[in-house]
Amino acid sequence: MGAPARVIGLALLLGILALWQLASSFERPEFVQSPLEIAGHFVDALRSGELLPHVGASLVRSIPGFVIGSLIGVILGLLAGVARSLDQLLSPVVFLTYPVPKIVFLPIVMLWVGIGDMSKITVIALACFYPCFINAYYGARGTPTIMVWSGLNMGARRTQIFRKVVIPGALPFIFAGLRVSLALSFILLFSTEMINARSGLGFLIRQSESSLRFDLMYVAIVAVAGLGYASDQLLLFVRRRVLAWHEAASR
Amino acid sequence: MIRWPDAASAGRRMALLVLGALVWEAAARSGAFSPLVVPSIARIGRELWWLLVRPESLADAWFSLQRAIVGFTLAAAVGVALGVLMGRSSIAAACLGPIFSGTYPIPKIALFPVFIYLFGIGSLSKVVLIFLECLYPIVVTTHAGSRAVNRVLLWSAANMGASRARILWRVVVPAAAPFIFAGFRIALPIAMIVVIITEMISSADGLGYLAMYSLASFKTDRMLAVVVMIALIGVALDWLVTLLRDRLVFWEKLDSYYAE
Repeated sequence: MGAPARVIGLALLLGILALWQLASSFERPEFVQSPLEIAGHFVDALRSGELLPHVGASLVRSIPGFVIGSLIGVILGLLAGVARSLDQLLSPVVFLTYPVPKIVFLPIVMLWVGIGDMSKITVIALACFYPCFINAYYGARGTPTIMVWSGLNMGARRTQIFRKVVIPGALPFIFAGLRVSLALSFILLFSTEMINARSGLGFLIRQSESSLRFDLMYVAIVAVAGLGYASDQLLLFVRRRVLAWHEAASR
Repeated sequence: MIRWPDAASAGRRMALLVLGALVWEAAARSGAFSPLVVPSIARIGRELWWLLVRPESLADAWFSLQRAIVGFTLAAAVGVALGVLMGRSSIAAACLGPIFSGTYPIPKIALFPVFIYLFGIGSLSKVVLIFLECLYPIVVTTHAGSRAVNRVLLWSAANMGASRARILWRVVVPAAAPFIFAGFRIALPIAMIVVIITEMISSADGLGYLAMYSLASFKTDRMLAVVVMIALIGVALDWLVTLLRDRLVFWEKLDSYYAE
């Protein structure tokens, strides 16, 4: 994205916020709040310590879930992409269960591992597994045969080809899968917290909504948005670093 | 005549499913777990049959399906229109692009309580959230697809005297169709996720509610039957979209899961 597009985007965002602020000066129900009010509440909540513990509780659930799920997904996806027998073993199950909304497993997981953090981490890991597996699988399968042949011809061993040819070739796909998984992990994090939790941002949103503390509800929503945006930017930053060669090649 | 390698690979394809079912059934029958934690497959099957013949639970399934389909269809219509517009007009791309890429990573589910206040606790708040969550992947893929249209096709259509609207409808949309369907296939499971989540959080009907209600009344077998039902609906919807895709985009075979 070029500099002018960024300026237009920022201007548009500010315009929307200004309109919102203007519209809030009319009479309105209590659950509609103006951007300036929300900003004020945000600072208050940071000071009073009402927000940060919940952010921490959410991260403790989402980071392990995302890391475990996507790591297993990437590894199994890559292996299934290169090994025919593993492919035949895993792929039918993965592709059959892919369209199943993973959140339906929350109740049964709750029953097995309890309603604590473990059940949330398990469901998040399960959801993050699929996009990573599918992308890594197609990334590995898409390795040009020519490259494998020339690798073999130059005397590379199978493990070397896997490390030096298959993985780099699949990396753009893997990052695409990671990005989808990251977004999914947040959806599942907040919804599992809304369904049952005693802490975390999803809980905070539900709790403040049902006790009519709309100030705190909006603070939590803004925190959720910020967390989602920041983690996506972090992933894109890592991708730019790791895939410097790829970006340069496509430019 | 079944050749041995075919049989072996077919066996491997089913192996994990069969093994999983066997382990489950063994665990259920061993007596080591309470039937509350691991109910046997037979019991789940009986509950599934019970769900399928009872009008109330069919109505729940219908509510969930209706919400998912209405939200998804709205998102498909608006998303394709916006995506094509952004792909073919630099002004639209400059205005809408930053909004979409900026709000894409934000989990829209956080807005659900606000939607409940705005649109009520019934279906509307859920449909709006489904619409919003499905819109993004459809816009993004349609945008990419309509940008990648072969210029020669556009030139020749213009040369033959096609109007702008006609070019959009007859050239750009068909050319972007594989991308559009890739977006649909990403969005449809999202629609199912969101409908189940919102019904679990706040609802008095729908399959998400039924799952939570069965769990709360310690009917694990029924809850698992609901899970199976949701899974079947998810698979069926995905199958329908793929079927539609193969019919409409018959010139391009789907060999990769994401048609990119």
